[in-house]
Amino acid sequence: MCTGRIDPALAAKAFRKGLDGMLVVGCYFGDCHYISGNYQAKAKLDMARKLFAHIGLNPERLAFRQCSSGEASVFVKIVGEFTEKIKELGPLGAGADRFEASKLTKKMDIAEAVLAGEKIRWVIGKRTPFLQTGNMYGEIFTEHEFNRAIDMIIVEETEVQEILAGLREGAKSVKDLAASLSMPVEKVFRHILALKRRGFVALKRIAGRSPLYTLVPQEV
Amino acid sequence: MPANKSDDIRIGVFICHCGSNIAGYLDMEALGSYAESLPHVAFVQRNLYTCSEGGINEIKKAIGEKNLNRVVVASCTPRTHEPLFRSSCAEAGLNPYLFEMVNIRDQCSWVHMQEREDGTSKAKDLIRMGVAKAALLEPQNPIMSEVTPRAMIIGGGIAGMTAALALANRGYEVVVVERSDRLGGMLLNLNKLGPSMADAAELAEKTVKAVSCHPKITVFTGSSVTGVQGFIGKYSADIETPAGAKKIDLGVIIVATGARNLVPAGLFQYEGEKIVTQLELETRLKKGLASSLKDFVMIQCVGARNEERPYCSRICCQTAVKNALLIREQAPGSKVTILYRDMQMYGVENEEMFRDSKARGIRYVNYDPEKPPRVEGSSVVVYNALLGREMKLPFDLLALSTPLLSQEDSDETGKLLRVPVDENGFFLEGHVKLKPLDFATDGVFLCGSARFPANVREAVAQGLGAASRASIPLSKGSVVVEPIISVLANEDACRGCGLCVALCPYGALEIHKTEKGRKVRVIDVACKGCGVCAATCYQHALTINSFTDDQIEAQIGAFLG
Ligand SMILES: Cc1cc2nc3c(=O)[nH]c(=O)nc-3n(C[C@H](O)[C@H](O)[C@H](O)COP(=O)(O)OP(=O)(O)OC[C@H]3O[C@@H](n4cnc5c(N)ncnc54)[C@H](O)[C@@H]3O)c2cc1C
Ligand code: SF4
Repeated sequence: MCTGRIDPALAAKAFRKGLDGMLVVGCYFGDCHYISGNYQAKAKLDMARKLFAHIGLNPERLAFRQCSSGEASVFVKIVGEFTEKIKELGPLGAGADRFEASKLTKKMDIAEAVLAGEKIRWVIGKRTPFLQTGNMYGEIFTEHEFNRAIDMIIVEETEVQEILAGLREGAKSVKDLAASLSMPVEKVFRHILALKRRGFVALKRIAGRSPLYTLVPQEV
Repeated sequence: MPANKSDDIRIGVFICHCGSNIAGYLDMEALGSYAESLPHVAFVQRNLYTCSEGGINEIKKAIGEKNLNRVVVASCTPRTHEPLFRSSCAEAGLNPYLFEMVNIRDQCSWVHMQEREDGTSKAKDLIRMGVAKAALLEPQNPIMSEVTPRAMIIGGGIAGMTAALALANRGYEVVVVERSDRLGGMLLNLNKLGPSMADAAELAEKTVKAVSCHPKITVFTGSSVTGVQGFIGKYSADIETPAGAKKIDLGVIIVATGARNLVPAGLFQYEGEKIVTQLELETRLKKGLASSLKDFVMIQCVGARNEERPYCSRICCQTAVKNALLIREQAPGSKVTILYRDMQMYGVENEEMFRDSKARGIRYVNYDPEKPPRVEGSSVVVYNALLGREMKLPFDLLALSTPLLSQEDSDETGKLLRVPVDENGFFLEGHVKLKPLDFATDGVFLCGSARFPANVREAVAQGLGAASRASIPLSKGSVVVEPIISVLANEDACRGCGLCVALCPYGALEIHKTEKGRKVRVIDVACKGCGVCAATCYQHALTINSFTDDQIEAQIGAFLG
């Protein structure tokens, strides 16, 4: 197994279960016995850190570091520094993060859904081709453009997962969703329409003058 | 086979003292009773050495008597001991992949020698995690595949030719692909070979002849490998030869592409006439030195052991001493001074050659890389720390000892074969100590200066070694591959999008058409189980045997619980 095996969704699960910090130590680039697995690990974990930062988990809690199997002192330094960092941050939700401990499960459920989801994984999986040979239209992205695209997807996907989580509690109107998620109504409406088109959400009934939306059970 | 139903899981935990390596630093009794308290654990035993015959017999006995269907050994590193414990399980009738190893020595007792309590508590965490994973292990079956009895050797230097002859003499067909128009490699440019002073041309000619005449060896000179597909036992190579493109089926591949010598453009006023490299000096010595040459200076580590090339090229010191002795033979009255940082003269014969050179009056002056020598007209000026002042050494010929560099295209060759190169472009072996001539990719081996600067003796030894390693799958006719690989656990979920295919470092995934549409297929023998695909698939269709999401989650859960 290589660091490339680390599924970022697993990191979200681990934080939900009470982890305060996760350190992934891989080999140096170009020195990996799995050839390119560590590049994959770094790309995935970088993206997970961004998502965590976005939803309020201190991104320092997840780190990717590199050293070789012959560098005991480097390894000790990495682990020592990370341990100090986590001690400084304290337990999850106790002040170093932008949400309280009571919100942890909810936040991490959303993070996990985003990280396990199609959109993010597709884009990260296509990172190398996007940067090297371009997308299907042959447009080559710069690192900067790619990162901006990731940032945007993280924001959108989080919103989508928040809406789905909201609907899991029961059918809701766009207005109610917008209020409970403190999101602009137009935005919620746009997501709902897209989700409806993709078959995730359906109109349940009209309550008063607002349509109520509900989740469509998905086959697994 | 035991069903993976939690009530049926019976785990045996064997905790090794490793003499005092573990028992000297951790509270073994506490570990034993702790292990007994863990879910599904049906039997716990502590052993002085679990890997001894006695320990192994205890495992086998307990599997039968206690009806164990999972075994956990908490001891040293799986790198050295997992195969042994797995085979012990198999001998007792338990599927060897129902075994899990926990490292409480290298990763615990050895690093926490001064922290008995914390170390013990960490060992408990590790054992708890191992047991949690063991409960979810599934039996696996080894994967078998046939081997095409043919080897391809890339590079026809002394290392590659030696390997070719060794394999051909054992009766296997060998294809040698040499880029230049002649076999022989670097030896073709050398004069005498230290420390024995054998004639390089003679050795090269003799070997080239043996290779060229061998009925089992096909040589393609002026040729290169442009594509490699497949996996151990079933490789297929595209070779571009002057007579056109060829496609050849192979079982194994040996990389013997050697190295090149640095041309020190811009260093020490190098011009190739009066200021030459050791390689050019070899040619001069071959022709015979002009009698007008009296004063010789050599500078070691030119363009080596610096920021750009931090490594020591190992062979240039031997070469300098050898050439200094040869100069003294050809030009008896001459003066030779070698300016060095450290003399890299490993090996009994080389040391002797070094001592001999001093006895014969070769002068050695140490220099400090902070105050490197400089060329001023026809002299080298160097700061001699022993004397505490600068010395001026006039020269008729200045030889610069430059390092061997990896081939310019080693990175491409690496990509072609899916094997790694290090930061200096030399090929990276599977494991420095345990697999020095194998790559991590099965069925690909390496030898000679392609791996790291080597002298002829080492290149030959490695050529023989690589041939011997390569002959194992060839002689068996089939290979058994670790089943800890990627599997399409949920075929229905797979959309055949191919995202994983592009990311697989080993080309072990392919899309094929099925009745249910396009689906991914894992090429078992090519997969190394890195897990990139499983961490990528958004449909969560792929997983890794013995490293499934459930198993990893169970370990994380056990750690936190
Ligand atoms: C100046 C000098 C002096 C030396 N003196 C001594 C000495 O006195 N004693 C001693 O023991 N050693 C000496 N050596 C070291 C010796 O040259 C090496 O040990 C030896 O040549 C290593 O053999 P090799 O087969 O690994 O590589 P090489 O001899 O470099 O052969 C590699 C071959 O592979 C071919 N090749 C490269 N890339 C490809 C490709 N992509 N496809 C196909 N073919 C390819 C090359 O054309 C070449 O023929 C000296 C070296 C130098 C530079
Ligand atoms: S072998 Fe000698 S000259 Fe060559 S890099 Fe090493 S120390 Fe320097």
